[in-house]
Amino acid sequence: MGTGFLMKEQISSIQTEALELIANAGDVRALEDARVAVLGKKGSLTLAAAGIKDVPKEEKAEVGQLLNAARSAITTALEKKQLALQEVADRAALAGIDVTLPGRAVLTGALHPLTLIRDEAIGILRRMGFALADGPEIEDEFHCFDALNTPADHPARNEKDTFYFDSGKLLRTHTSSVQIRTMEGAKPPVRIIAPGSAYRRDEIDATHLSVFNQLEGLYVAEDVSLPDLKGTLEYFLQELFGPQTEVRFRPHFFPFTEPSFEIDVKLTVKGQAPRWIEVAGCGMVDPAVFESVSKTRKDDAFDPAAVTGFAFGMGLDRLAMIRWGIKDIRLLIENDVRFLKQFA
Amino acid sequence: MNVSLNWLSTHLDLSGKSIKEIDDLFTFAGVEVEGIVSKGISSEKIVVAQIKEAVQHPNADRLKVTQVDAGEGVLRQIVCGAQNYKVADKVPCALPGAALPGGFTIGETVMRKVESRGMLCSAQEIGLPPGEDGLLILPEDAVIGKPVKEMFDSDTLLELEVTPNRPDLLSHYGMARELATLLKTPLKVMEIPEVPTVAAGSIRLESEGCPLYSAVRISGVTVKESPEWLKGRLESIGLRPINNIVDVTNFVLHELGQPLHAFDAGKVSGGIVVRQAREGEVFGALDESEHVLKADDLVISDESGAALALAGVMGGLESGVTEGTTEILLESAYFVPQGIRRTSRRTALMSDSSYRFERGVDPQGVLAASALAVKLILETAGGSVAGATEVAGEAPVLTKPVALDAARLDQLMGGSISLTDAGAILTRLGLTERADGLWEVPSFRADLQRHIDLVEEIARVHGLANVPSRFLGAFVPASAVDLAYDADLVLRRRLAALGVYECQTIKLIADGQMVDALPLRPMQDGDVIRVKLPLSEDHAVMRPSIVPGLVASAVRNVRQQAKSLRFFEMGRVFRNAGGGKAKDQESETLGLLVSGGAAVGGWNQAERQADLYDLKGLVQALVPNKTIRFVPREREGFALGCDIKADDQNVGVVARLLPARERELDFVSPVYVAELDLGKLRKLLAGVDHVEDLPQFPGSSRDAAMEVAATLPASEIEGAVLKHAEPLLVSFECFDVFADASGVKLAADRKSVAYRFHYRDSGRTLQSGEVDAAHQRMLEMLTQKLGVKFR
Repeated sequence: MGTGFLMKEQISSIQTEALELIANAGDVRALEDARVAVLGKKGSLTLAAAGIKDVPKEEKAEVGQLLNAARSAITTALEKKQLALQEVADRAALAGIDVTLPGRAVLTGALHPLTLIRDEAIGILRRMGFALADGPEIEDEFHCFDALNTPADHPARNEKDTFYFDSGKLLRTHTSSVQIRTMEGAKPPVRIIAPGSAYRRDEIDATHLSVFNQLEGLYVAEDVSLPDLKGTLEYFLQELFGPQTEVRFRPHFFPFTEPSFEIDVKLTVKGQAPRWIEVAGCGMVDPAVFESVSKTRKDDAFDPAAVTGFAFGMGLDRLAMIRWGIKDIRLLIENDVRFLKQFA
Repeated sequence: MNVSLNWLSTHLDLSGKSIKEIDDLFTFAGVEVEGIVSKGISSEKIVVAQIKEAVQHPNADRLKVTQVDAGEGVLRQIVCGAQNYKVADKVPCALPGAALPGGFTIGETVMRKVESRGMLCSAQEIGLPPGEDGLLILPEDAVIGKPVKEMFDSDTLLELEVTPNRPDLLSHYGMARELATLLKTPLKVMEIPEVPTVAAGSIRLESEGCPLYSAVRISGVTVKESPEWLKGRLESIGLRPINNIVDVTNFVLHELGQPLHAFDAGKVSGGIVVRQAREGEVFGALDESEHVLKADDLVISDESGAALALAGVMGGLESGVTEGTTEILLESAYFVPQGIRRTSRRTALMSDSSYRFERGVDPQGVLAASALAVKLILETAGGSVAGATEVAGEAPVLTKPVALDAARLDQLMGGSISLTDAGAILTRLGLTERADGLWEVPSFRADLQRHIDLVEEIARVHGLANVPSRFLGAFVPASAVDLAYDADLVLRRRLAALGVYECQTIKLIADGQMVDALPLRPMQDGDVIRVKLPLSEDHAVMRPSIVPGLVASAVRNVRQQAKSLRFFEMGRVFRNAGGGKAKDQESETLGLLVSGGAAVGGWNQAERQADLYDLKGLVQALVPNKTIRFVPREREGFALGCDIKADDQNVGVVARLLPARERELDFVSPVYVAELDLGKLRKLLAGVDHVEDLPQFPGSSRDAAMEVAATLPASEIEGAVLKHAEPLLVSFECFDVFADASGVKLAADRKSVAYRFHYRDSGRTLQSGEVDAAHQRMLEMLTQKLGVKFR
């Protein structure tokens, strides 16, 4: 028999063995071993292929074809097996993951509820064209009381109700002092809101803090009227508490506004009948306030005959308590993580 | 102020008005209703019923089945558990639909298989004072079928809050007058007799604090218990009856709003002198308190010079009416509000009387109140008036005519009310329009002084509900405060996302907390701002730093077993500066505190305790694109203090509490704190001006592990590298620090610090040799400058 025939036999048996080897490979490593054993530098088919030089010329084409066919078949088998094994390995790798175990914990943080409610209120009012303003918390009597038309013997000025310093200054009892500070430094139209702390000599208990947070508002221009006050505050409160919220204005008294009102919104607390809850005070700026500002400014920018305005103020701590059903105001300053976490 | 609805109804017809309507009426008059307490039976469906039959319940030992006549023509079957009645007794029967005070409504039920169509009631069950056990047995003459409520007194007590500008409402008559205006109904006529008056002979007014004083002498009175009607009136508003004379003065105060005082005439020697107190004069008040007076207090004294009363505030212990009193001197006067308020505040003596005088009583009501009281005293205590009422001084005129400007009214009300309607409101309120168009104000409304005061009345009565809403507003530019607010919110959100909780602490702190203060600049003597009259020692000082509040919050959380403490707060801090040279400085800072767990332990990750580098990392993450440096600087009372620098500018300070302080506060982990200047931080937040091109060519890194003295700070290595200014070096970072305290792997006084250096040229790909050369230069420099040994 010629070398051609022998070689054909050899190729055929290498192919059969190789395919068997590939089929039996149980993992990627065994498969790689099989590839090396057949197609590697010293692999059986590689070695066999080297014998083609001894094949007679007329048979070379046939043997060559056979060789190529064998290599092709083996390569295809290798690739297929490779994919199959990879699939098994992938499946095994994924099968090891318990998707029901909890995720890797990341530290959580949160904004304080007062920041949340303050930002919500500020967000609404800024959309309505109010800009922020502020003023000192350590105030003088003039800006806290005199300029706000508060009589010299008004009870709020008492040392029992207001914190004073040896310098004669005091801790502002309301953010309304920012109204005066702003009007002293700007000309109408003035359209500001001032969030900030205020202080009263109240013993701290479930409903009182000696340091609390307010949001003040002031709009002064020509022809500002009660309809402006009503429209502005109704809209604001309906944005804050929901579009269907009923709002009512009860006549009230503040030294620095006239007429003055307290504002209630009708709220339904879960499991309770709807009831009116006081949320803010407001009123038209008292002409005496403009007169005082004009005296300080020494001009007529705030001439009470030429400009009118409205002011409003609300307690942010109270709004937070209403919004989240917080029963004890001290929770807002104790910073218990179990409380803060609920706002994460 | 307490108001009885029955009492109010003596002045005004309120029949047919529900409590809800009356509540609204007050509310929209500007009088806050703080409480409503109903007394007596309210339901019409509790009627008189006669028990016709009572037999044992077939299925319950303790129940009986009764047949009762409730005036309906047929008998009603009701199951009842009481034992105290007999057949033919008349008792209250709650018919189906009756609402009982306990908040439940009676229905028809089946009790143990026997039908029961209503409920027979005890006194307590229908809202009466509890009596004997069992059913309330009604008198024999009770009319079957009639509502039981008609047989018992009922009343409603309103707790009202009157604003300080409306002293005219501080009486039942005043309230009724206001409601009559709002309801457009007439007041009932009040009968106050005319009492003859005479210019005072025995009264001397020596002070401007009392422009009008009247006194009337009533002899032969018998001091005794008041008649039922008078006691009932006082009790209906929560007052305790004392005796007929005192009760009449209290009644008149709450009826008309004019405080009166009755002296035992036998204890007054000679005439009345109204004078300023002598400095240091001692006064024993009715409530047995003793007061040292000042010269600006006003007293009522007699010719002997003894102070009989602290004018308008409280009577004296000695001169009051007692059981043995037979002759009284009845005072009715007008005292100037400011003086009364001053004295009341200073002596801490507050009375129904001072409450009204310091708000201002109606000067024209002084004599009418006296007349009414005289009438009632004669009725209840007998006796006779000795002579006319002596009057000293004159009723001050506190009102003046006020103009109502139609154009300004229209502007403020947005055209929602006509001048005619506005005028009608003023007229109903008791104002009168004069021929010249000005409005005359009644004497009891001294609060109406200006145009705007009239507008307020019109707006109040017209109601804001009847004013349209308008949506207009000027455009306004963002202010500096807006920009600061926005920047702060970015920082707040960033910190929350970094796993830090925002806190809110009280800005008044205790002296004892000052040791935790970490102000940007250390405090000097005189820098602390202290309130004059703190509520308690816990809130005595304005915080100069946010850290003490955060430390206190952390302490509280540790007590609650919180493991991870990561807190921040933003807000104002306060100090004088330069030993008090610059007063009352307010600035805004950010405080940070980190202690305990810095990573949450779980099934796949270990818990880790926070260290200094966690806090430094947080600070760095606040402004990730800025180079933040930490320069050691000792802080008294703290460990590991560092200044925080950005662009060579001090922006804050970071430190650890002293371990001793941590132990004192029961911390179980080290506590790291920082305080940063918010003003500077906001500026650092400004975003990039323009983006840099991305590198076009690859760079190459080289590591260097250096052995150095254990005490050599990393900043020295970094400083040397930066100073070296290798042009190809783009960045470098420390990736390992190794030390061995035992000295086995490395001498104990040495450490190994490993850095990675990144080299790149922006214009081309570097050859490996070029990188090696640059790195070699770096290593040589480090060897020369710092004596580094490479490992």
